[in-house]
Amino acid sequence: MNPDLSIEEPVSLSMVPYTGAWTKSEAAHLLRRTMFGATNQQILDAVSNGMNTTVASLLQIPVISDPLTYDSNDATSAVGTTWITSVYPSDVTNAQLTENARIKSLAAWIMKRVNTENLSIAEKMCVFWQNHFSATVASDARATYNYHMLLRSHALGNFKQMVKDVTIDPCMLLFLNGATNTLYSPNENYARELLELFTIGKGPQIGPGDYTNYKEEDVAAGAKILTGYLVDGLRSTTLPSPVATYTSFLHDTSTKQLSTHFGSVTVPNAGANEYSNYIDIIFQQPQVATYICTKLYRYFVNYDLTPAVMTDVIPEMAATMIANNYDILPVVEQLLKSEHFYDVSLRGSIIRGPIELLFGMFNATNSGPNFNLAIDSEMYLTLYWLAESMGQAYATPPSVAGWIEYYQAPAFSKLWVNSTHIKTRFDIANYITVYPGIPVGGQNLKLNALAFVDGLSLPSDPVIVIDDMCDVFFPKAISTLQKTTLKFILTNGQPDFEWTIQYNDYIANPGNTTFSNPVKQRIEFVLARIFQMPEFQTI
Amino acid sequence: MKRRNFVKNVSLASVAAPFVLKDINFQAIEKKLFNYSKSAEDRVFVIIRLNGGNDGLNTVIPLDQYDNLMIQRPNVVVPETSILSLTPTLGLHPIMTGMQSMFNNGKLSIVQNVGYPEQNRSHFRSMDIWSTGMLDINETRGWLGRQFDNDYPNYPEDYPNATYPDPFAISMGYEVSATCQGLMANFSQALEDPFAAVNLLSSTVVNDGTYFGSHMEYLSTLIDQTNSYGAQINAAANAGNTLSTLYDANNPIAVQLRYVAQMISGGLKTKVYILNINGFDTHNAQVSSTDTTAGEHANLLKTLSDAVTAFQNDLQLLGLENRVAGMTFSEFGRQIASNASDGTDHGDAAPLFLFGSCINSGVIGPNPTIGSTVVDQAGVPMQIDFRDIYASILKDWFEVPMADIQPLFEQTVTFYQVLGACNLRVEDEEFERNRILVFPNPATSASSVRFDAQNEWVKIEVYDLTGRSVALVFDGNIEQGTHTIPFELHDLQAGEYIVFVQKESGSQQTKLVKVK
Repeated sequence: MNPDLSIEEPVSLSMVPYTGAWTKSEAAHLLRRTMFGATNQQILDAVSNGMNTTVASLLQIPVISDPLTYDSNDATSAVGTTWITSVYPSDVTNAQLTENARIKSLAAWIMKRVNTENLSIAEKMCVFWQNHFSATVASDARATYNYHMLLRSHALGNFKQMVKDVTIDPCMLLFLNGATNTLYSPNENYARELLELFTIGKGPQIGPGDYTNYKEEDVAAGAKILTGYLVDGLRSTTLPSPVATYTSFLHDTSTKQLSTHFGSVTVPNAGANEYSNYIDIIFQQPQVATYICTKLYRYFVNYDLTPAVMTDVIPEMAATMIANNYDILPVVEQLLKSEHFYDVSLRGSIIRGPIELLFGMFNATNSGPNFNLAIDSEMYLTLYWLAESMGQAYATPPSVAGWIEYYQAPAFSKLWVNSTHIKTRFDIANYITVYPGIPVGGQNLKLNALAFVDGLSLPSDPVIVIDDMCDVFFPKAISTLQKTTLKFILTNGQPDFEWTIQYNDYIANPGNTTFSNPVKQRIEFVLARIFQMPEFQTI
Repeated sequence: MKRRNFVKNVSLASVAAPFVLKDINFQAIEKKLFNYSKSAEDRVFVIIRLNGGNDGLNTVIPLDQYDNLMIQRPNVVVPETSILSLTPTLGLHPIMTGMQSMFNNGKLSIVQNVGYPEQNRSHFRSMDIWSTGMLDINETRGWLGRQFDNDYPNYPEDYPNATYPDPFAISMGYEVSATCQGLMANFSQALEDPFAAVNLLSSTVVNDGTYFGSHMEYLSTLIDQTNSYGAQINAAANAGNTLSTLYDANNPIAVQLRYVAQMISGGLKTKVYILNINGFDTHNAQVSSTDTTAGEHANLLKTLSDAVTAFQNDLQLLGLENRVAGMTFSEFGRQIASNASDGTDHGDAAPLFLFGSCINSGVIGPNPTIGSTVVDQAGVPMQIDFRDIYASILKDWFEVPMADIQPLFEQTVTFYQVLGACNLRVEDEEFERNRILVFPNPATSASSVRFDAQNEWVKIEVYDLTGRSVALVFDGNIEQGTHTIPFELHDLQAGEYIVFVQKESGSQQTKLVKVK
């Protein structure tokens, strides 16, 4: 039985380009699903630029700067420089201290990337791929960094090439034991997940060892095909980064037999390139496109793959993907411009994950750490741990299948919020608004309420302030009563003109906290309330 | 029908259906009968998930297969002399000294070769199967969730309430448990620290019938429940106690089990606690390359064994042993042959542990048979279906009527005797000694008296300590045999009473303690 049977299904299942009204509501929906927290100004810009231009901007992957050393325990790279190609010290203890410093730098850097995202889908795609190819951190931060960059570089690239590159990436070779998969001891771990989770997906079990799309024998054959890759240079004192090396005498040179699900083809020995041939064979099955498109759909649109979505939406997406030889950008573009994507029934159909929650507060208010490299890094690290405490440590998904919220029926994204996590969410909301902030390194991390209100359409008008805040933070209109309540908090129950006077006084007296503090405090109160409303928990 | 079974059925029978004991119509008895076993109501079940696929063959080691284990997994098997002996043919991993002594004290049970037909070797699918207790891919509810749905059909609507103020299940840590997924909501509360205060801002929302609306309803209910349940958990944790000195503060499972003991002793009525240990997916470096008794897997088993041992010790000291039982499970065992990475790959069946003072037997099921030649990808064949173990737990521990258990499962259920020892056995022994028994005793709202009779007149009364008769349980002729007559205690004050059985063949009496 499906508990959601009673839910109103989308009116439009059409993948044709959306041509309806283009207001703040639609623009904000697009940005909520493709970014972590768009500002009011970004939403207004998207309205004036129109859907096509905005989507085109979103599909640009920007160039980013390197992670920087901020902890002096890194023995081989100075504070303020990057460590991504720095060797490790030979002393084991110093190497570990160096690794610790680098992992902290990396985690802080990833959070900074999310916090400082432009109008781009890049960061959202990176989380998607981290969830899909869920290798966790290696023992060498350079490998972990390289892995992240590999996912980022392919974020909207070619899926087939991405699978090939991931297959022989040092981080993945270590994570799923590819690095110990040899002729003498085939290890099935990667071969299994390659089929089950990364490419074709597992269908219902229809016979002994037969999972509709592949069989156990394909797992065994795949393990043999993939033999021979090792990882060298972990924490090397000479090499600039760990590398995957193909070692021919550890490769199984026999001819491998695939099952009927792959046309019973054989895979002859092809040495270092055999894995690539095998992936080409897997990608001949259109199910690969269907599988990855369902994951994209769940991530960007809705977890509920209704029968109608499976017959009307997913096949069109898969067809687009196959027509473009597994390029990712065209299918994402098609989806983000489709009538279905903008169907009103889908607003708020996803509960924010922890990273969406945190940066939904910080990014949308134009806030973030802004002190110095060390303090900012520690603050970003704090945000990393906060996300982890709510169930989403960016670089370490809980299992090879990724975060359960993206796949576990029937609750899906509801699993992000339970009795423990809801309390943490509300505590954080208070800490970064009405409390002095989260103390880090002698400074406090909190939202910049004044910069936020200054960026709204007409900050001196309390009605517009609340309207803008609703556009930014809620996926759907809230009730008149709820709006009145929020405005009541903003004006402290005074007539609207009192707020106008207060705000104008603050503008007229720059730097005078007598005038700015009351404005700041009222905005913080409203933000605290908004962040503790169920409506804000969804996108 | 055996007596024990018969007595058990009596205690489970519905009050609505008049039933007859040896030609006596119980509805004729003056005091109204009670209808349901009360013993299961305050029972607690603890589930420890070994996430990743535990290597059963290096956990519970079949000593009679050791030579072939050496052939199949020479780089992983622990030295024969290091194995902790349980029986002449079965032993434990050398790190599990605590669980060995639990076994020796009759508090640890091993169920061998547990799995299901046509093993699925995907972690995720297999964990789904174990969580739902169904092979059907369309099943989304957990095995406990289905039972909870039967008992509390509208959950979470109108819960908590005055009758059920406490969470039905608690999942220690950050995540709720899929085993407790019900139709509309998950019955488990995720809980990190029972001492943390909870006071969340609640909201009034309207479900407008969309996905958004369903989320609004879910979240506002969650917030209200978290506040209510949080207060209950808090109160119980503060009222409770733990007494064992064996808990290791560096063992995360020990810390969590200590919280569980604290909450149980503080009076929380939660029925199920779920814990999780990650890391059992030991493809690689399962054992140290220089010492197969050490390494990742040994560390995990130590975490488990030490924590459960401390918990059991605590329950004993707290006097809660007969109210708490537990089990471990993992989504599959691992292949018989090891790989060259000093690890093992995904396999099939594996043993699971049951623990508590109410276990029925030390070992259920025969040792697996290990061949002398390596068969590619071979796992341990399944002999006992885990779904039958679940069903047996519901029957033995929660005393769910058998007729209600079968519909929860897709297979024809086979019941094993797993956790029934406290149901009647202790009382049976006492009865064998004295030929009269009042059970449960102490009792809260109802109890039963069991006695022998000839074909004769019998009168049973309850007296208080001043010698005043406070209840007439039975008065009439009765045929030869052993009889069990339930009676109610609702009207009695807490305190000590005498149950007096007058018979032509000789009278007997025994003490009864009524508690609130």
